[in-house]
Amino acid sequence: MIARTLRQLALVLALALVPALVSGAWQLQWRKQEPLAPGEVRLATARMWGDQVQWVDARSRAKYERTHIPGALLLNEDEWDKLVGPFLDAWDADKTLIVYCDGGSCEASQAVAERIRAELKIGGVYVLKGGWAAWEGK
Amino acid sequence: MIAGLRIAIAGIFIAAGVMKIWDFAHAHSATPDFTIAIQHYELLSPDLAVLLAVYLPWLEVIAAIALFTRRLALGAAAAMLGMSAMFLAAIGSASWRGLNIACGCFGKDEATTDYRMLILRDLALLTAVAVLFLHEWRRVEIERFGDGAIGRLD
Repeated sequence: MIARTLRQLALVLALALVPALVSGAWQLQWRKQEPLAPGEVRLATARMWGDQVQWVDARSRAKYERTHIPGALLLNEDEWDKLVGPFLDAWDADKTLIVYCDGGSCEASQAVAERIRAELKIGGVYVLKGGWAAWEGK
Repeated sequence: MIAGLRIAIAGIFIAAGVMKIWDFAHAHSATPDFTIAIQHYELLSPDLAVLLAVYLPWLEVIAAIALFTRRLALGAAAAMLGMSAMFLAAIGSASWRGLNIACGCFGKDEATTDYRMLILRDLALLTAVAVLFLHEWRRVEIERFGDGAIGRLD
């Protein structure tokens, strides 16, 4: 009986996999990618979250003012004390924070994300894999 | 009674699954919202949350449909039993950690989670699914071995 139950269970799980794969392939367009570090999220995933995302720009003010992801809030380590107030005023608890920096080997986004978690006690904070360069499609 | 229970459980799972697949209010995929809801539990990595958000709703729908087929009803009930236990564990864990999050049980929830109500609801669902699972187990056992062989295992 246990074997029969497990066989049927496996069949149900496999049957559900078919529409899920079609749906997943349609929505996510998986491809070979570098593995994610803890707390990182890919641009494709972030785009899928749509309006639920609050972008946080951890780059310098000059770069932010030149251009940034639409709706992004500026919060970097250099001006943390000055920027954290306006950031908290604009923060929407229902949204997921995704922090980005220049991309490549930049570490500012990880540092800012860590400070948001540790000092502001905000959970659900992620770092954009590839940063601004990924957003720009470079 | 079992027929009514089967229809009620299947209805709950189909409703929960479909609402996690498609957001009827906004006419777009509900997967992003469900992904966010899963991530708020802080139990899975972002990529695993996306995979679960894509797979789980379909499992709910397929298991609900399979509940009405003779050959798969036992497996479907087992899948539902596992899912119900998982839902209860996730809600219980979120409550234990003091997370202030939406359940995500039926797609996009606006209201803040009322853990007491959710845990009671999930306990009721788990009990109902367990009753159905035991019924299916007994039915298959009788089909295979006859009335006198209840309790025998493969």
